[in-house]
Amino acid sequence: MSSITRRYVLKMGVLTAAASAATRAGGPWIARAQSKQLVVCSWGGAYQEAQRKTMFQPFEKETGIKIVEASPTDYGKLKAMVQSNNVEWDLVDVGDLNVVAGAKDNLLEPLDYQQIDTKGVFPQVVHKYGIGTIYYSTVLAYSTKKYAKGDHPKTWAQFWDVAKFPGPRTMRNNPLDNLEFALLADDVPMDKVYPMDVERAFRSMDRIKPHVNVWWTTGAQPAQLLADGEVELATSWNGRIFAIQKQGARAGLEWNQGKLQWDSWVIPRGSKNKDGAMKFIAWSTQPKPQAAIVNEIPYGPVNQRAFEFIGAQAARDMPTAPDNAKRQVMVDPVWWGEHRNVLVERWNAWLLK
Amino acid sequence: MRPLRWTSEWLLVPALAWLGVFFVYPIGRLFYASLFTPALSLGSYAKLGSSPVYLKVFVNTFEISATVTLIALLLGYPLAFLLATAGRRAAGLMLIGIVLPLWTSVLVRTYAWMVLLGRRGLVNEGLQTLGLTDAPLPLLYNRLGVTIGMVHVLLPFMVLPIYSVMKGIDVDLLKAAQNLGANRRQAFLRVYLPLSLSGLATGCLVVFVTALGFFVTPALLGGRGDTMIAMLIDVQVSQLLDWGLGSALAVVLFAVTAAILLAVQRLTGAERLWVRVP
Repeated sequence: MSSITRRYVLKMGVLTAAASAATRAGGPWIARAQSKQLVVCSWGGAYQEAQRKTMFQPFEKETGIKIVEASPTDYGKLKAMVQSNNVEWDLVDVGDLNVVAGAKDNLLEPLDYQQIDTKGVFPQVVHKYGIGTIYYSTVLAYSTKKYAKGDHPKTWAQFWDVAKFPGPRTMRNNPLDNLEFALLADDVPMDKVYPMDVERAFRSMDRIKPHVNVWWTTGAQPAQLLADGEVELATSWNGRIFAIQKQGARAGLEWNQGKLQWDSWVIPRGSKNKDGAMKFIAWSTQPKPQAAIVNEIPYGPVNQRAFEFIGAQAARDMPTAPDNAKRQVMVDPVWWGEHRNVLVERWNAWLLK
Repeated sequence: MRPLRWTSEWLLVPALAWLGVFFVYPIGRLFYASLFTPALSLGSYAKLGSSPVYLKVFVNTFEISATVTLIALLLGYPLAFLLATAGRRAAGLMLIGIVLPLWTSVLVRTYAWMVLLGRRGLVNEGLQTLGLTDAPLPLLYNRLGVTIGMVHVLLPFMVLPIYSVMKGIDVDLLKAAQNLGANRRQAFLRVYLPLSLSGLATGCLVVFVTALGFFVTPALLGGRGDTMIAMLIDVQVSQLLDWGLGSALAVVLFAVTAAILLAVQRLTGAERLWVRVP
């Protein structure tokens, strides 16, 4: 895997170096941006390592713009920086909901789509104040020790069916994802999930609640719980399951009825290197860098044209592979943006009851 | 009134300045944010009152903190006594044992409990191998798990203040009491315990107040009924960005904690709590 990636990076390097040499002649602001460093904040861990290897370092080499990394993304910090006019981050990797929320709170700079070639980029990740970095999914995950591949639950209705599929379960301590899954478990068709019937979703959650042993709060938890045998069924982000599979854990995941969502690049309002940030966004959204990162860590490229550079085998593990994507629900960040705060409060009350 | 010895009072200035900048000012900002987000209103406080969640979570928080304090005291007091009366070498080793965990991150220690107490953890596997239990006991993801994890983290904060006070107690006083006709129990209850009370009170307060703000341990070892207030504050501040509500929660926690401290001080006498008068 790593040698493949290296090859992509090399090829990509040569091509984009040529491209950037061509644009370098292009205007005084590019020269100015080059002289400044670009502070990028992301989520840390294996994901940021992959970003470093496939994006930050090649970008630095080609443009001469020095990237300084920070982590992890913290929305509270982002808001505090903008409001106190002391913006240390130029570019931040945030969850899809926080593009909408950040725009509403006036925390973000609008992107300049004159500079970004959005050809091939999935339209839902293109927002006035942010653009997708990668896709990921929340999926049904299971212990392959308990359930042989093929005999595992493949729908949320089956996940809810504790008689037919017994075993300890973990779900996220958050209304996000769970309410969608609750509706699907209650036989709501995938294309009718949004706008959500919240009452129906909570009634459905009532049925699974007594059978959930652990309500996870951090992304590492469900994978670890599965690996340790603490639970046998879980909701989990797909990348985490892939990571423990690589370490030999007996875990599998089901794409059917997963929930597709994405991370976005945003530029905090008052960033000291807006130009550099825009340049990075334009560069990183292109097919080759997109292919390089998802070859390194199995998330989904936000640019469909990236699949031209991804092997068929690798593509099968990605959330946006056409076969996987069509069986999943796409998050509606606008709906969540409007209802999230109220639903989190309701969720907390529901959980304590 | 004694005359002001201004030279020695000046010694307070650095500490007061530190407190002012890093404690009073931020707390003031918190009060301000709870009332002025975005404009002057009691809206955030009204929100707290409008949902039963917040009351329930406050009750949880104080219940868990009180239980943890009590257990830490029951474990810590005898430990401190052993430490204070042990030989120099043994005491040194024991002290290292007590203080060493403070250098390990709370997160790591919390994960260690998962390894020990899980369904397939060391304790459950051991019990089942020995045939003492048929099915794994639910030791984690409930109140028991939170309590065990928190007592472990907070125990040194109970032991150390009690130990430091006990070190100053002359053990010959116990012999003197017995010499004067007290039995061992009376000598402990009427001589030793009262003399160690200031350390005990300090230990309890430090543990209780620290426990109120716990976040990592209940989030990772708790079940759905064990939400503590710091977890809700975190969600408001760093996920939902409702700083008004987050600040209001913090202010209420601060006010209730301060009220408890003042009440304890009133009941036990301020001097005794903070200063051990030899």
